[in-house]
Amino acid sequence: MASEPHNTSEALLQVTNVRLDFHTYAGEVKALDGVTFTVREGEVLGLVGESGCGKSVTASAIVGLLPENAHVSEGEILLEGQNLRNISHKEMRDIRAHKVAMVFQDPTTFLNPVLTIGKQLEEVVLLTTPERLAEIAAATKASKDLKGEESAKTTEEKTQASSKLSRFERKKVARALSVDVLNQVRLPDPDRILRQYPHELSGGMRQRCMIAMALARNPILFIADEITTALDVTVQAQILELLRELKHKVLGSTLLITHDLGVVAELCDRVAVMYAGNIVEIAEVNELFANPLHPYTQGLMRAVPIIGRPLAGLEPIQGSVPDLIHPPAGCRFHPRCPFAFEKCKIEKPPLIQRGEGHSVACHLYGEKKP
Amino acid sequence: MTQPILEVKDLRKWFPVEGGGLFSKQKRFVKAVDGVNLEIKEGETFGLVGESGSGKTTVGRCIIGLLTPTSGQILFRGQDITKLKDDSATRAGTKLGIVFQDPYASLDPRQIIKSALTEPMTYHKIAATEEEALAKAKRLIELVGLNEDHLYRFPHEFSGGQRQRIAVARALTTNPELIVLDEPTSFLDVSVQAQILHLLADLQKELKLTYLFISHNLSVIENMSDHVGVMYLGATMETADKKTIYRRPEHPYTHALISALPIPNPSLKKNHELLSGDIPSPVDIPSGCRFRTRCPYATDYCAQKEPLLTAREQSHEVSCHYNLSLSSPIPLTQTA
Repeated sequence: MASEPHNTSEALLQVTNVRLDFHTYAGEVKALDGVTFTVREGEVLGLVGESGCGKSVTASAIVGLLPENAHVSEGEILLEGQNLRNISHKEMRDIRAHKVAMVFQDPTTFLNPVLTIGKQLEEVVLLTTPERLAEIAAATKASKDLKGEESAKTTEEKTQASSKLSRFERKKVARALSVDVLNQVRLPDPDRILRQYPHELSGGMRQRCMIAMALARNPILFIADEITTALDVTVQAQILELLRELKHKVLGSTLLITHDLGVVAELCDRVAVMYAGNIVEIAEVNELFANPLHPYTQGLMRAVPIIGRPLAGLEPIQGSVPDLIHPPAGCRFHPRCPFAFEKCKIEKPPLIQRGEGHSVACHLYGEKKP
Repeated sequence: MTQPILEVKDLRKWFPVEGGGLFSKQKRFVKAVDGVNLEIKEGETFGLVGESGSGKTTVGRCIIGLLTPTSGQILFRGQDITKLKDDSATRAGTKLGIVFQDPYASLDPRQIIKSALTEPMTYHKIAATEEEALAKAKRLIELVGLNEDHLYRFPHEFSGGQRQRIAVARALTTNPELIVLDEPTSFLDVSVQAQILHLLADLQKELKLTYLFISHNLSVIENMSDHVGVMYLGATMETADKKTIYRRPEHPYTHALISALPIPNPSLKKNHELLSGDIPSPVDIPSGCRFRTRCPYATDYCAQKEPLLTAREQSHEVSCHYNLSLSSPIPLTQTA
């Protein structure tokens, strides 16, 4: 990596000091406690942590799909410089339609069981901007050489062309694009799949359809929330391979949320480790695995069973994840941390830079080492 | 050679399904388990691994008697326990314990932990008096790393890891010799999973238990087992000792399964072998070898004849027509 100073212009998504609470009958659940990270142009950022650490909530906050009882009390979420925190529902819908596409863990929940895949894909495709539709229409026309019409050249012309598209033509374009994205996610026989209902497809195929729907929107940010967790190992390997392929060709920047360090190692460029609503460490992937700094990251890596390492080498992290209604004061990891000292119980450690692109939130690495 | 504590011979469990015409005579079956063979030696951990729908849980349930097999034998210390009736079946049952996957569903929410532990003891007359049962419950709860106070709480007061500890304590109430562990850690986070794995390993040493460890997680199986059996679509594909399975597998499915595993080390060169397609439906199992539809080496012969699980060398059995020479599925530095 080049040793140039941190350039903010390359940050596509900038999440700064986001604090989020859930109002529940039992009390305020302090789910996010000042989360800060950036997703740069063209990279895959992994967000890794155990269940309840707030990784999915972070994603929901970005795309504005938080439940009613959630409340963002502080911080900002900037996408290409635009703050997503205080925009209207309509604007947020547009963001989800054109800019940020999210795929979730369980595809069955997010596919409509009574509509065919074709119908659902068409809906997504028709959300796309008129310019893009016209572009695709022109491209299909050119390739099929229909009527020998001249393809539109400038954006204005394209917009005009698309507004001129009849309903029939728009449907035809939508279908062409649907087939195209299904091909991109390597689903065999797209024409047949367009006619099928979700229940006729296997879990892996459904997840491919969800990825296809994301691709159809041509997003600038792709958020993948545990998308291989519900799948079997052999099918997971297929989807990971697909993502690796798409990463270089189609997908721009990706936020990959997972609990699986294996998936992180296979796919990510940089990794942010979350614990109990905090980002505790961010680093480039090779650096993080070679030189984990935060005691939680270190613990996590020793707690994952690895083939070839005997059981004796497997070290649990003592205790369990804290209750976020009454989170521990100071560093939220201190009750489970083998290195905790007085300061950890009182003061929350800030995320500070420790070497090239490697940040950690831990008092062990204070500015001046004791 | 010592006699195995448990032997499963050609086990089948078919579930009838609705369907077919009203007058069609042909009944259709979900062949959840369709020819499983395995042998568990006393004091060892046998890992049973397979993807979802491979029938591994059904095998576990048949062994402890929660399901009656359609055919086949389950020999516990040489005695076929599928044929036992009433009393003797119950008696054999006390020698077998089980820990279920979901610690949120396997404990009665309205029962305090004390009753959950003492009830099996009084029912099976393992403890003569209430006091004796309670004393034993105390011993067990401490053995799994909790304390006496916890006996008087309800399941909802515990975390997932603690519940799984209680489930282990309950499995131990009848002094079992063999415990079926059905995905005991798949509901838990990795930091807690490691605690439970260590607990299970310690208990095994202390109480000289035999485990049948069922899991879809290849790394957990590798860490815990002495011998491993690989299942696919209801049948055993390969069984061998752990080292052989992970370093020199001879069945193409075992090889693909292990090489598909994402490795938490970005600096290692991975060579994933991708299988095409998905697992076929257990209602319509492919003819001949059931793996042939996804096997990269399948030939016409595979569609005609079903391969038998045959011994290649000492305690290494493979269900494949061909003697393929496959490379090691895991990167070499990791085997060191």
